[in-house]
Amino acid sequence: MRRVSLYNLSWFLCFLCLLTAAACQKRPPPRAPSPSPSRSGDIARNDRRAGSLPTVTLTASPSSVERGEQTTLSWTTTDTMSLLIDSGIGNVADSGSLVISPRESTTYTATATGPGGQATATTRVSVIPRSARGIITSTDLDGLQQAIEEGKIQPLFFEYDQAGIHAEGERVLKENARWFQQFPNATIVIEGHCDERGTEEYNLALGDRRAQAVKVHLVQLGIDPGRMETISFGEERPFAPGYDEAAYRLNRRAHFIVIR
Amino acid sequence: MRGENRGRVINEDKKKKDTCMTGKILILCFICLPSLLKAQTPDVVIYPRPREDTKLAVADFVARTSDTSEVQAALEIFDRVLWDDLEFSAFFEMPSKSFYPLKPLRSPTDVKFDNWQVPTLDVDFLIFGNLQVDSGLAVVEAYLYDVRTREQVLGKRYNISDKALIQRVAHEFADQVVFQLSAGTSRGVARAQIAYSSLKGQGKEIYVMDYDGANQRTITANGGLNKFPEWSSDNSKLAFITHLPRSSRWELWIQSLDGGRRVLPLPSSYVASPAFSPDGTQLAFSTREVNGTDAGIYISNLDGSRLKNLSNHSAIDSSPTWSPTGRQIGFISDRSGSPQLWLMDSDGSNVQRLVREGGHCDSPNWSPDGRFITYSWQPRGQWNHQIYVIEVATGRIFQLTSGRGSSENPHWSPDGRHIAFQSNRTGAKQIFVMNADGKNLRQITAYGSNESPAWAGYPVTETQE
Repeated sequence: MRRVSLYNLSWFLCFLCLLTAAACQKRPPPRAPSPSPSRSGDIARNDRRAGSLPTVTLTASPSSVERGEQTTLSWTTTDTMSLLIDSGIGNVADSGSLVISPRESTTYTATATGPGGQATATTRVSVIPRSARGIITSTDLDGLQQAIEEGKIQPLFFEYDQAGIHAEGERVLKENARWFQQFPNATIVIEGHCDERGTEEYNLALGDRRAQAVKVHLVQLGIDPGRMETISFGEERPFAPGYDEAAYRLNRRAHFIVIR
Repeated sequence: MRGENRGRVINEDKKKKDTCMTGKILILCFICLPSLLKAQTPDVVIYPRPREDTKLAVADFVARTSDTSEVQAALEIFDRVLWDDLEFSAFFEMPSKSFYPLKPLRSPTDVKFDNWQVPTLDVDFLIFGNLQVDSGLAVVEAYLYDVRTREQVLGKRYNISDKALIQRVAHEFADQVVFQLSAGTSRGVARAQIAYSSLKGQGKEIYVMDYDGANQRTITANGGLNKFPEWSSDNSKLAFITHLPRSSRWELWIQSLDGGRRVLPLPSSYVASPAFSPDGTQLAFSTREVNGTDAGIYISNLDGSRLKNLSNHSAIDSSPTWSPTGRQIGFISDRSGSPQLWLMDSDGSNVQRLVREGGHCDSPNWSPDGRFITYSWQPRGQWNHQIYVIEVATGRIFQLTSGRGSSENPHWSPDGRHIAFQSNRTGAKQIFVMNADGKNLRQITAYGSNESPAWAGYPVTETQE
């Protein structure tokens, strides 16, 4: 039914409220969600005392290497007396760089301590096993896979029997598109899903309509249609068990996987 | 609202048929000559006639010579299957066996017809026979007698190389009896197989079973999702859709029961609901252009060539079903807002809306005689589907199921007197069969989750006999 009944609307609103509340509580200290390499070091301010807080940046270039290959870790600081980089590097000069060759994907955190307090910056180096070289032609697969695993690429949710993309969906797609553009060689599959109400045949077509709608929107956001595939699972692959609107809402979705 | 009239309309319809069919059956019974019956043009009978029409007794079969435990086991199966088949056919009133004379009937000379015409029984027809098993080989002799004229209507002798085929013989004899006593209006459904999709681990595989749920066997074992099976008109092949593990597309498969298969080329990753044309040369299904936004109805040859978009509309068009003449296609479209049942000619012209009730319709299936389409419908504001039948010419709608759960994917039996469907009324999705008036409901699967039953039609080659 295209009309959402009052009953369902109220459930939906309740759910939205809960979701908003949960989101407010869980929100971490403000982190710049910046996938662009020039600002890849996150800055967290842990100390709120008065005075000049130290600043620190930490970057890895390239951020993704095959096992055995080298990458350069670079950092800069201000108002810093001592600088410590973890993961086995230790104390280093205020600014500088280091060539490293990590055996596996590693997250590096630089902690700068100064008179005004403490600041940290983190960066991650992704390491792809060499044995996979023949299969994986692009390190973008690994990068995007990691972004998906870290929850940076979000699914979209739909209204009952609808494939329209609302404001929240547009925001999610814009954010996802930035990640997709950052890893231009990865092929993305957009999966369309439905809740269990309705028939299998119609839901398969509806899930297809949802996936196609998302693809069209991503093309408008500049993503090459040639690197996007769509597939509908109808009601075959529910994400949330249960037979209430809370579960149904989670099951009416388009989500993203990366395949090559 | 039509719904309020539904029950009444069905009853009126039936009463008319009752009178006319009782007359017809009486005449036919008394001039009962099988050869003449075959020549009779079959009348269209959708709703089963009431059981008062024909009273049938099915005596327990007896061991012909040696009464071993092996023979007893075979007899037990034969008697049960034959009784169930004839009862399900819904052509007969079958008095309880407790009223039967005690004397076993081995051969026609054992029958005392007077004993079968006492007031508590008063049957019109009597079935009896014998069975013998010898080192795996079995022989069944089965008789159908007209109790009033005391004449033999059927006498059959079956030689079975494997006693596992005993059910098959019971089904075959039941179909023979139905054909004779229904004046040729039905060839019986007891031998017609039902294909369906069954949950196995993470996947769903295509299975085939007898109409009573026995003899389940797998057609696919690819670990993927296999859905929406439909029979070819000669019953040698099944078309269905397949999603293989880790694939990012649905495929359209045509698989022969002997194992060979063909994967049809498609324009996109979406395909659903294949249906063979009655002449067996084409397939209708739902797919999408690679850059299209919505599903459409397409037809192609069985090798995938001559793919043609029939519906040519921006809405979702899905779930095609051919009329038995092949001239029209019923389908589901949401071009009017919500998915409703529409018709078009099989060249895509003459598109017209058949159901105007709102809500959601899906899974239409055209009756073998062309008069009706069964489909599932979910009224606006409700979440469950129920099974309905619409008379194509008049638009009259009959509700067949009600109550708990969602009942979906209805499919006619080959004689048009029964409907198979899936329902989750008992928990997981299971397959049910019922009469075309909604009575005589039987659940035929019980384990796992089973959906999308497709009852095989009478094979086209058999029609020409």
